[in-house]
Amino acid sequence: MNPRLRHASLNAILGVSLVGALLLTIVIGLVWMPYDPIAIDLEHPLSPPAVQHWFGTDEFGRDVLSRSMLGARISVLLALATVALAITLGTAVGLLSGYLRGWTDRLLMTVTDTVLAFPGILLALGLIAVLGSSDSSIILALATAYTPSVVRVVRGTVLSIREREFIEASRSAGDSALGTMMRHVLPNILPPIVVLATSLFGWALLSESALSFLGVGVPPPAPTWGNMLSASRPYMDVASWLSIVPGLCIAGALLGVNLLGDALRDWLDPRRQS
Amino acid sequence: MLACVPVRARAEAGEPPRAPILRARLNSDLVSSDPGTRRDENTDGVLLHIVEGLVGSREDGSVGPMLASRWSISPDGRVYTFALRPEVVFHNGAPLTAAEVVWSLQRYLKPETRWRCLEVFGSHGIARVLAVKATDAHTVEVTLDRAAPMFLTTLARADCGATAILHPDSVRADGSWIAPIGTGPFQLGEWRHNQFVQLKRFPRYAALPGPRDGNIGGKHALVDELRFLVIPDTSAARAALVRGSLDVIDNLYPAELMGIRGRQDLQFQSVPILDCYTLLMQTRDPVLRDVRIRTAIALTIDATALTKAITRGTGTANNSPIPAASPFHRAAEAQLRTVDVEKARQILKASGYDGRPIQLITSRRDPQMFDAAVVIQAMAARAGVNLQIDTLDWPAHLARYTTGDYQLMVESFSPRLDPTLSFGLFIGDKRQEPRKTWDTPRARELLDEATRTADPARRQTIFDQLSLDFLEEVPAVVLFNSARLSVVRAAVTGHQNWMSAQPRLWGVGLR
Amino acid sequence: MLGYIFKRLLSTLPTLLLVSVGVFFLIRLIPGDPALVLLGEGADAASLAGVRADLGLDRPLPVQFLAWLEHAVRGDLGRSIVSGEPVSGLILEHFAVTAVVVLVAVTLATLIAVTAGLVAAWRQDSAIDIAVIGAATVVLALPSFWLGLLLLLLFGVKLGWLPFIGYVPFSESAVQAALFLVLPVVTLTITESGVLTRMMRASCLDVLQLDYVTHARAKGLSEATVLIRHVFPNAFAPTLTLVGLTLGHLLGGVAVIETVFTLPGLGRLMVDSVLSRDYPVVQGCLLFTAVVYVVVNLLVDLCYPIFDPRVTAR
Repeated sequence: MNPRLRHASLNAILGVSLVGALLLTIVIGLVWMPYDPIAIDLEHPLSPPAVQHWFGTDEFGRDVLSRSMLGARISVLLALATVALAITLGTAVGLLSGYLRGWTDRLLMTVTDTVLAFPGILLALGLIAVLGSSDSSIILALATAYTPSVVRVVRGTVLSIREREFIEASRSAGDSALGTMMRHVLPNILPPIVVLATSLFGWALLSESALSFLGVGVPPPAPTWGNMLSASRPYMDVASWLSIVPGLCIAGALLGVNLLGDALRDWLDPRRQS
Repeated sequence: MLACVPVRARAEAGEPPRAPILRARLNSDLVSSDPGTRRDENTDGVLLHIVEGLVGSREDGSVGPMLASRWSISPDGRVYTFALRPEVVFHNGAPLTAAEVVWSLQRYLKPETRWRCLEVFGSHGIARVLAVKATDAHTVEVTLDRAAPMFLTTLARADCGATAILHPDSVRADGSWIAPIGTGPFQLGEWRHNQFVQLKRFPRYAALPGPRDGNIGGKHALVDELRFLVIPDTSAARAALVRGSLDVIDNLYPAELMGIRGRQDLQFQSVPILDCYTLLMQTRDPVLRDVRIRTAIALTIDATALTKAITRGTGTANNSPIPAASPFHRAAEAQLRTVDVEKARQILKASGYDGRPIQLITSRRDPQMFDAAVVIQAMAARAGVNLQIDTLDWPAHLARYTTGDYQLMVESFSPRLDPTLSFGLFIGDKRQEPRKTWDTPRARELLDEATRTADPARRQTIFDQLSLDFLEEVPAVVLFNSARLSVVRAAVTGHQNWMSAQPRLWGVGLR
Repeated sequence: MLGYIFKRLLSTLPTLLLVSVGVFFLIRLIPGDPALVLLGEGADAASLAGVRADLGLDRPLPVQFLAWLEHAVRGDLGRSIVSGEPVSGLILEHFAVTAVVVLVAVTLATLIAVTAGLVAAWRQDSAIDIAVIGAATVVLALPSFWLGLLLLLLFGVKLGWLPFIGYVPFSESAVQAALFLVLPVVTLTITESGVLTRMMRASCLDVLQLDYVTHARAKGLSEATVLIRHVFPNAFAPTLTLVGLTLGHLLGGVAVIETVFTLPGLGRLMVDSVLSRDYPVVQGCLLFTAVVYVVVNLLVDLCYPIFDPRVTAR
């Protein structure tokens, strides 16, 4: 077999396995977890991994495995919602900007560049501080930070294809701008958007963890891998498993998503080697 | 890393050799060098090495003489006559006389000084000051408009700057602040903002005879220089201590002992202090206005288990606003509510609570406050109370506390040395002070009476009654009092925290 | 050339202005009062009003903004509410720490990426290639703060080199200060080398297939010459863009790394000042970061012609 194809399928297999494991964990977690992830047990704080608690317990005696499973669900859902919002908003703005050009383009791009000039974490921090620390505010904040990237990619792609013949043909046949956009431009920008979406998912997962690590993010007692990592710091010398487990989860999930994204990119654009 | 071995200062006859420098840590820079005005705990702590007031606090928290050797109170309780100690000298060499005392006190009473405790002598305070005058070179007379047994206690308060007596050269001709010229065992040296505050030993300090006692007795400077290094990060402070570039860290949370627990070259100390960790309840809230719901929540909280877990065994569980280490904490105050989850469920059912979410506000600024919220949320859930934690950063938390804009809030209060001040954290008129949680006429009357009474027996009876009412009416649930954890290098001698939590670096030396 | 630079800088002014306005209003929307933070709990209304007046916070918002702007264009970013120190001094102090860590890390990461990417592409599908691409992919998935925590766990706790975790100011000891920066630099280098390596390898693969490379080889030039003189300069452009983007982004502060290693860098300054409502510092930092971002992007664009003569600055 062509070595490149072999690598592409290796990527795909590994990616699917990891992502599959993640999804499986989430699905199982919907119906069963070894313990209640929020229930505290002040008699057994900081116990190391053992038969009763496979991943040990944290400073309140909560089961780390159960919290990791619930954390998977929360983190993934948050990341998905963020990506959905960013893609929708970014595509709309990018389409309008790239297709209509002129003043619309200049205005939208200035706003986009302004948002882009804010350090992402800080923008998210500020927005969450204003809106209050809830799931929806986190999604909104992260989506705002990522929308400009989507806008740029979409706009770039639109600019490069708007000159093509079938667009001209469509316009001269009397279609409205909106109609042309929907019927001809949109399907052609889907591939780069799909690829971008997988990267975005990874970034969103990472950013939510970073925000939780910094102390803003999903409010307690709900676990996310990020806030579990953050809470582990004072206990690093007596309970190192608290620092290792959530990080492994994040790394594993990200690796799976990245590999899947790579495989997707290879499949959609065979000339481009990953 | 080898620490530099300090060269011993040439000892004066009969005195043990003094180390040149002792380095302590501040977790944030001083707010100002003007005592009792713009301040926080760090500021108070450092400035009280430099300045002193007419009175101060003894080791047990009671009021004792500082710059005044004795005082007398007129039979109607309105006139206080202070006799000044003639041997006291300011840092600029000028002797302490009544003139400087009068000037200092009058300065505090001027609104433009922004004295933190001015409102205690205002329209809603304990009394108004009618006159401050010098009857001779070493006697000062203060006249109030009514008797106020809390007058001296207020003067001694650390957050009032101990009503420090300053020399007029501390300010310019137009009244603007320069630097504190006080009477304390140390004087202000260099203050490099956000780096360090340097205090130099004042050789002509006249210490009160006797052993170290609170912030009044036996204040001997055993080092030539005190340097408070500003190190906001605990891990950096720990590293500096281990490395030898820091000598004293006198305030750590239990969770911050990571990596240095059990080291042989360090000494550890834990002293219970008079602070207060509590769960405040907004009795005006539509849901929480029902005392049954408040009671139900209180019945689920196992203060003992909570305290042990959160403070890693260093704190003391307590359900009374009077801290456990206080001399006023007697049998009535020591009563702990019995945990009864089943009863809580029944009471909740009877009240018709429908399981709707109740907001519980906390902050990450204090890890013990944050942990308390997590534990309370889990404990309350056992009875079916649905608490939702809202973690706010410190400014937002402060704002919500000050305006009373919360349903439940975990709060920690810094040490108060008198029970009226402790109860005063909770009791008040919500229309004037929305941050107060306990707004019943009876509570306000009892507190008023305690403030006006001088008789210790009567006061204790009132405090006992208030403690019992507090358990019954549940305007809040006091959780625990913590301990001040300090870590010092093995070469440091004489370091001893006390229950007011103020740092004390006199009487502390280096081998 | 100078004209180009000037026009580029000029075109960023609207963005900078918008950023300043955005920050100004965003930070004031967050609930919380700086005066209350300064005076602490239990402060009375009169003192609060007094402090607010001292800080100029009682004036109408547009007036406050214009006053700030007027000073900012002259280089005066005001004073911190919390510490009273000049904001510009604070920013430069903290930026120095961040800049050292970021510049060293990104330089190292670029060197690693260029070498590894080039070799991997040259020997595509070999064991080396698989190792490189595998390592890069794994590294990409590692959260930087987790990596930092693990390194802290290993070196600080398990190996007991705890004295080397934390921060010591340069004034106290230059050697010690450098030692404290080793772990953060290592963490950041590892984290950034992943994506740079992949990008470099990808563009090298593209270039290696082009005609002139085949021609160069046919002409009898040594592999080393082909790689270094022909492949690398042409393949480097996209990686350079990425390096520029990364630098511009990281120089704005790496808040998470600075938090893990408790470095007083720009990222932490920003986060801390937002959390303490220190308005002048937040505004100053954001303006500074935006300017740095613009300047770095400009520098990267100007560097393109060095690597690819076909690209000329417009």
